[in-house]
Amino acid sequence: MSIDSIPVRVMAIEQVAPLIREFKLEAIEGKLPAFSPGSHVQVIMPGEAREIRNAYSLCSDPAMPRRYSIAVRLQEDSRGGSSFMHGEVNVGDELAITPPANLFAPVMAARKHLLIAGGVGITPFMSYIPELKRQGAEFELHYLYRGSQTGAYLDQLQQQLGSALHRYDSGQGNKCDLSTVLSDQGPGTHVYICGPESLIEGVCSTAKALGWPESLIHYEAFAAPEPGEPFKAQLTRSGKTLDVAADESLLEALEREGIAVPNLCRGGVCGQCATPVIEGAVEHRDEFLSADEKANGGCIMPCVSRAAGKHLTLDI
Amino acid sequence: MQIDPSIKSRPKYVAPELVASAGLQLFVSESDAGHLLEPLYRQCSESGAQWLVAEPGNAPGTLADSLSGYLQRVLSDAPVTTRLYVAGSEGFLWDIRNQALSAGLVDEQIQLAPPVTKARRLFCTHCYTLMEGVTSSPHTCSGCGRLLLVRDHFARLHGAYVGVQINAEDPEEQLEQEVLQ
Repeated sequence: MSIDSIPVRVMAIEQVAPLIREFKLEAIEGKLPAFSPGSHVQVIMPGEAREIRNAYSLCSDPAMPRRYSIAVRLQEDSRGGSSFMHGEVNVGDELAITPPANLFAPVMAARKHLLIAGGVGITPFMSYIPELKRQGAEFELHYLYRGSQTGAYLDQLQQQLGSALHRYDSGQGNKCDLSTVLSDQGPGTHVYICGPESLIEGVCSTAKALGWPESLIHYEAFAAPEPGEPFKAQLTRSGKTLDVAADESLLEALEREGIAVPNLCRGGVCGQCATPVIEGAVEHRDEFLSADEKANGGCIMPCVSRAAGKHLTLDI
Repeated sequence: MQIDPSIKSRPKYVAPELVASAGLQLFVSESDAGHLLEPLYRQCSESGAQWLVAEPGNAPGTLADSLSGYLQRVLSDAPVTTRLYVAGSEGFLWDIRNQALSAGLVDEQIQLAPPVTKARRLFCTHCYTLMEGVTSSPHTCSGCGRLLLVRDHFARLHGAYVGVQINAEDPEEQLEQEVLQ
């Protein structure tokens, strides 16, 4: 798979929450591709040390693909991406994005959609909601945020959703009782979670304990790759050896060397970047490989996973 | 008759296991298949489990209206955490499963016990007639009179095996009967 990038221009920037900035993007030439609810794009940013690619959900209406919107939360421990978007990008600037891909589409056959958003995790649901409304689908949104930091689009959502919106501002001590939300649901209800890992983990474990079928639980977490120990990667096909720094991912190191690896999510979910391992122990951090595949060690997801030791030999 | 392992559509059945976390344990059986579910039912608390039994003597292939209507009502009030266990003849299993899917359940929530007989429901691909209790192949279609080879291909939508005419070139030709496995 080749990953073409699309040059876009920043049409407007809006501060939609204290730490969240929304960017409206328009094609410089021609039209932007259509997208489905739940899609994301990668924004390709020229970082100081290396190119940075971050995945962001499209948070605009899929029926209006002339413009894309993305919303970026400024991360305290930014690896460069969110601080670049917040600090360096101005209206009129050009950016490069990848075409939309979707790893988090709503199941349109669902009887009901239960959307649970944490903070900036509201973004994919901003593309769900217009489509669900058009389809006349039954849904409710449970939105957990901290008003002093996040909570984007609240007024708009309140107006559009009315009683289908349930707001929980943790800054004001409003807690969401996940057990209650998940208990009172009928057959054919699908639950979707987007937010921090702790929220995803909380919803999944509560739902499973209550007896929810796993096929009704969907989630998306785009976490930045966690740093680790530096290691060497030896590449048998190209004959190259790379040094992977502590704060960069193996995928980023490969890209820095000009070795293209297909990828969609850069978060250990989509499975596109799977790379065969010839030698060396792997510290698996992805959600794609099964426990058996991880134990077998024949494959690594370079977007998030690293060497468990000092070196890896890859069949690439 | 050998079961061809290359036929992927033929369901494989395993004895149901209780999913203890379910919010509602729902058992549905034909009257002669209850023994397959009884050990599971006995592990459930009375408040969390319901058992619906199909009355004996119903016309084959038609879910009795009373059972179908009652199941419909139970499923419409059921929680998303319902688990459904079904025992009976093969056609019955799939009728219940299909009704549950249309009520919003997913296959992960439904366990079908191994069918109590080897008799098959047969779907004629020529005239679309469904026949119950077919135990040997070929079988004469009750709708169009064609002599049908009973294949191992299984249609979940109908809960039936597929029958195709075996002697199309020479309809006078009679073929040896094989008992279905």
